[in-house]
Amino acid sequence: MLIPRKVKHRKQHSPSRSGAAKGGTKVNFGEYGIQALEHSYVTNRQIESARIAMTRHIKRGGKIWINIFPDRPLTKKPAETRMGSGKGSPEWWVANVKPGRVMFEMSFPNEAVAREALRRAIHKLPMKCRIVTREGSEF
Amino acid sequence: MSEVRLTVEPRTEFGKGAARRARRAGKIPAVLYGHGVDPRHLALPAIDFARVIRDNGQNAVLTLDVAGAESKAEKATELALTKTITVHPLKNYIEHVDLLVVHRGEKVTVDVPVVLTGTSGPGTLVHQELDTIQVEVEALHIPEQVEVSIDGAEAGTQILASQVPLPSGATLTTDPESMVVGVNEAPSEAAMEADVDTEGAGVVEDKPETEEAAEE
Repeated sequence: MLIPRKVKHRKQHSPSRSGAAKGGTKVNFGEYGIQALEHSYVTNRQIESARIAMTRHIKRGGKIWINIFPDRPLTKKPAETRMGSGKGSPEWWVANVKPGRVMFEMSFPNEAVAREALRRAIHKLPMKCRIVTREGSEF
Repeated sequence: MSEVRLTVEPRTEFGKGAARRARRAGKIPAVLYGHGVDPRHLALPAIDFARVIRDNGQNAVLTLDVAGAESKAEKATELALTKTITVHPLKNYIEHVDLLVVHRGEKVTVDVPVVLTGTSGPGTLVHQELDTIQVEVEALHIPEQVEVSIDGAEAGTQILASQVPLPSGATLTTDPESMVVGVNEAPSEAAMEADVDTEGAGVVEDKPETEEAAEE
């Protein structure tokens, strides 16, 4: 699973959940992509799960790009612990995804198979998403 | 590419509030500049402009009839090239347009979309590196797109910018050595599975945050 090799601070404040994506809103590498329509924290387990769902469906002959990286730690206090005694220990690694961000890209010769693979991957993600193409849609 | 006539209005109020009012009224805020003249703020009809872009591509050349142009410095008719179109990433409507003043016979540098045609050979995967290539061409003869054929291309085929067929009168300004399309061997199942290291791609070093903590 994706996880940073080294971090400057093990415990950070929770990432901001407001605003829209400033960049990475277009499909640049592949032909199809998954674009977030809502804000959410995407954990490394969800990223890996979505990647496996796509890979297992297309089997071979395609390429997948992951455009997000889970570089923000979220902490959690152990169960049945009294308040105080400092911040909990890191529990999850998340990518802070904002609306408009293209998280995954895929290149595959058959469009119907590629769309089905992306649809399966969307089910593994915690927010509303849509499939976008490199050409984009008309105004 | 055909020349399109569009009736536009000058904008008198500026800022995000005014821009949003204009969009609600079915207009697109735009700015017209170039050739050392003062920039002019315009409002384009949203539906008509979207149709022009659909029919003529992103490099459409427009003949603008500016309504209410009074002073001599502000011409009533301008020939303009769409330079930048800002589209909302989620809602997919045109937010703003930059228009560049051009003269007849003038050469301009534009990004022309590259379209792939045909199907590559079996067991290959096509990777398009460049969506557009930059060409210098006469303003009234901008190609809508350039087509690159990958029909039957074998793995290892590379098409460079210099190999893209351009229409007559167009000169390539992109680096001729830059790759436009690469045809690679399609990855196998094992290669795709191993694309991302799933076995702990890194372990976060559990270092104490302060020196005091280290002493404890």
